[in-house]
Amino acid sequence: MEKFKVTFYPDDKTVEIEKGKTILSAAISAGVYINSSCGGDGVCGRCKVILREGQVLTQPTGRISLEERKRGVYLACQTTVQSDLEVEIPAESRLGMEGLTAEELELRLKGLYSEAEEIEPTSSVLAEELFVHSPLASKLYLELPPPTLEDRISDLERLYRQIRHIQDIAIMQTGLVNIRRLGELLRSSNWKVTVTLGKRNGTTEIVLIEPGDTSKKNFGMCFDIGTTTICGQLVDLNSKKVLGTKATYNKQASFGSDVITRIIFAQEADGLEKLHHAVIDSMNQMIQELIQEHNIDLNDVNCILCAGNTTMVHLLLRVDPTYIRRQPYVPTANFVPTIRAAEVGIKINPRGLLSCVPGVSSYVGGDVVAGVLFCGLDKQEDLSILIDIGTNGEIVLGNKEFLISASASAGPAFEGSGVSCGMRASKGAIQKVGISPLDFKVSYNTIGQVRPRGICGSGYIDLIASMLGVGIIDKSGRIKLEKHKRIREGEGGKEFIVAFKEESDVSSDIVITEADIENLKRAKAAIYSAASTLLKHMNLDFSQIKKFFIAGGFGSYLEIKNAITIGLLPDLENFRFIFVGNSSLAGARSILLSYEAMKKANEIAKRITYFELSVEPTYMDEYMGALFFPHTDLSKFPSVSR
Amino acid sequence: MELVLERWQQEVSIVTIGATKEEGGTRSYVVRVGGEKTLPFLFPEGEIPYPPVIAFEVWDIAPSDWSTELNKYYGDVFNDPLAWAEKCVKQYQAKILCIRLQGAHPDFGNKTSDEEAKLISQLLKKVSVPLIILGCGDDSKDNLILPACSQATKGERCLIGDAVQDNYKTLTASVLADGHNIIAESPIDVNIAKQLNILISDMGLPLERIVINPTIGALGYGLEYAYSIMERARLAALSGDKTVASPFICFVGQEAWRTKEAKVSGEQGLIWEVITATALIQAGADLLVMRHPVAIEKMNNYIKTLMGVSL
Repeated sequence: MEKFKVTFYPDDKTVEIEKGKTILSAAISAGVYINSSCGGDGVCGRCKVILREGQVLTQPTGRISLEERKRGVYLACQTTVQSDLEVEIPAESRLGMEGLTAEELELRLKGLYSEAEEIEPTSSVLAEELFVHSPLASKLYLELPPPTLEDRISDLERLYRQIRHIQDIAIMQTGLVNIRRLGELLRSSNWKVTVTLGKRNGTTEIVLIEPGDTSKKNFGMCFDIGTTTICGQLVDLNSKKVLGTKATYNKQASFGSDVITRIIFAQEADGLEKLHHAVIDSMNQMIQELIQEHNIDLNDVNCILCAGNTTMVHLLLRVDPTYIRRQPYVPTANFVPTIRAAEVGIKINPRGLLSCVPGVSSYVGGDVVAGVLFCGLDKQEDLSILIDIGTNGEIVLGNKEFLISASASAGPAFEGSGVSCGMRASKGAIQKVGISPLDFKVSYNTIGQVRPRGICGSGYIDLIASMLGVGIIDKSGRIKLEKHKRIREGEGGKEFIVAFKEESDVSSDIVITEADIENLKRAKAAIYSAASTLLKHMNLDFSQIKKFFIAGGFGSYLEIKNAITIGLLPDLENFRFIFVGNSSLAGARSILLSYEAMKKANEIAKRITYFELSVEPTYMDEYMGALFFPHTDLSKFPSVSR
Repeated sequence: MELVLERWQQEVSIVTIGATKEEGGTRSYVVRVGGEKTLPFLFPEGEIPYPPVIAFEVWDIAPSDWSTELNKYYGDVFNDPLAWAEKCVKQYQAKILCIRLQGAHPDFGNKTSDEEAKLISQLLKKVSVPLIILGCGDDSKDNLILPACSQATKGERCLIGDAVQDNYKTLTASVLADGHNIIAESPIDVNIAKQLNILISDMGLPLERIVINPTIGALGYGLEYAYSIMERARLAALSGDKTVASPFICFVGQEAWRTKEAKVSGEQGLIWEVITATALIQAGADLLVMRHPVAIEKMNNYIKTLMGVSL
């Protein structure tokens, strides 16, 4: 088979690939990221590239305008290599995360995570403060009395005895590797060693024995493995201090943007392998970067704690997720025993441990359990609810007496996918919007204070609320403003220009189309109606709920008032809402730092019952009623309707 | 046996169609619909101030798909809408007419807005009953002819339709400017009916000038579905939901006469129209647009009997 060289710019990476393969597959082989929400089906139009040189064959597509075609724009997934190529990846097709300066990254991460820390301790309970400090891996410095003729117990028993002097630990395991080295190690270190103790499924294991005192160097990582974004945090397990936080896009996104397409992809040849490697690579890369930035030895990272939805955990562990999407929707495992991180290819201390937050069911995963733990929903006196505004809008209702969850497939609109100028809450995303009622001038604020590249979830919430407020759209979401320089006719109906291309960082105007508004309307309707149906099922209503914990990757900003205006959240007093940001990551950190929290998470996962909305006949009706801004039943939103 | 009585919180709004000389129009009387304070004909629970009203359907062109049964009654006037209207009023005692401007449809003659406006003006002179004016069903064409007809009938307080969720702005604006009422059509869906009422009233047209076309099916063709949707909407209205408290208009004739049964036999068509209408007035229909003069007569007698109960 004839092979050609494909070079990608601005990465300047070259790969050799067989004739007839797509540019997208060449990019994947080259390790160059190109957006591809649909997984190469040619529908999403996200993988636009510019051909600088060479011959290609391409499929006709409506995603490329005539003007773009003239500039040499192609869809990477629909275009095959026919000669050596030079391909440029324009800014809008690139992942926003790579090649950022440290400061930029700082800004970004601030945007992503600062809110979780900003919770008022009085209104929410910071879980780690309540749980006894007992990290998943702890280090003990031991000075053993050398054996004498009177004290002749074996080296291993001597080690156990010394540990028991300090801690009352009943059961222990020690790997053969450690035992083989033990005799020599104890003597060469003059009976002064540090043992790493790992909590493993109710028992304690000697993970590692090192010479001398290394007890100060004990680190762990917690991860939130989201369908679109993976967030990782490096934590000093002794001081409980967060040393650094990173986020990266889940590279699995190039195989499909939601869990279902990924499960389907996992059934293809090497599919599971590819998905597994995509997530492991992302995690390893994040660990590498963090330990380098903080001058930490890889061997001192002793444990990993992961929270993710059930499918993400399956893929992380390389467990076939097929049965999750087949009736009766049973996952292979909800409670995964603690394993060695190396078993799945995570590079930390070779004997380091990996634990996953237990899940509830196929569609309510450990991320939700971690969120419940973090918000302390399980011990609220008053009725409370956790609403995670993500692709799979998870909702948990309850208090210390009961916990019930439901999952609404809201779609990825609030995460910036499936909307024409949508993007995740990362640099350049418009996150805050206001529109002047006089001339419809748009003022906005972007993450990182740079020129806008697109609009993220919180930006869309503000945008729709403002458009309703100034009368650009009607309550059904149709654009009613006519003959204005910001209004134009596009392929998906009328469009409103939020930022003209002259002011943006992309090659076209940043717009919101009627089709986008429809998508966002469906997403907000799915979440609101899931919550209201769940409440109705429990014979309750919103007004009885004292605390609303709102989670989601919205960046640092979510205007509750506007979320109410569009009908995403119920019309209640502002003080009832607590924006918790990424509660899954925060919950994972609590568990990493406390075995008590881990036990609590197990308890929570067992306590949460799951309510399947799709079999509830009133859900569809609730949903249809919610397909309006704010709602067909205006009496539910008295502060919004005039 | 003792009857358990329901106490309702709200009444259906009253829509007035037609304007007399004193009110700035030229109609000899007005027709009022709505105002129910109870479910249909449950007089012990509340007042029903106005009985359901039957409108005769008249077209601006000779219909090509009407049953031959109807030919017997209108065959002589099919080609003359003015004569057709006059026949309905004079011979069959129509209280109100429903003019469908089918001839404006690009596939059915493509009449211009000037032609239609002229026809409506002539019609106003020919008959003095209140008018319901319907477009041809082609959105972009209706957006031309209905504003023209609205203007031509300014002050006559007609009922003009249909506004739908995808196309309500032009018609609402015209109706608002010219003092008419509007028909808001929804596809057998309470939520959309409510949403459309809200959208229209958001443009400034009071809810009291909206009549809901809930979309119906004839007996055996979705009647029960339409019935339950109307019942749900009416229950919500009586329970206090202002946004859905509008009278209903039901296009019974058009649905009954397109059934296979009606096509097979004119006799069956007549029965079908009567049965469908009978069921729908029990679901809360306020205005029924019908075709067969005998069916209409039967219905009028039946309504009289039903309303007599309260006397």
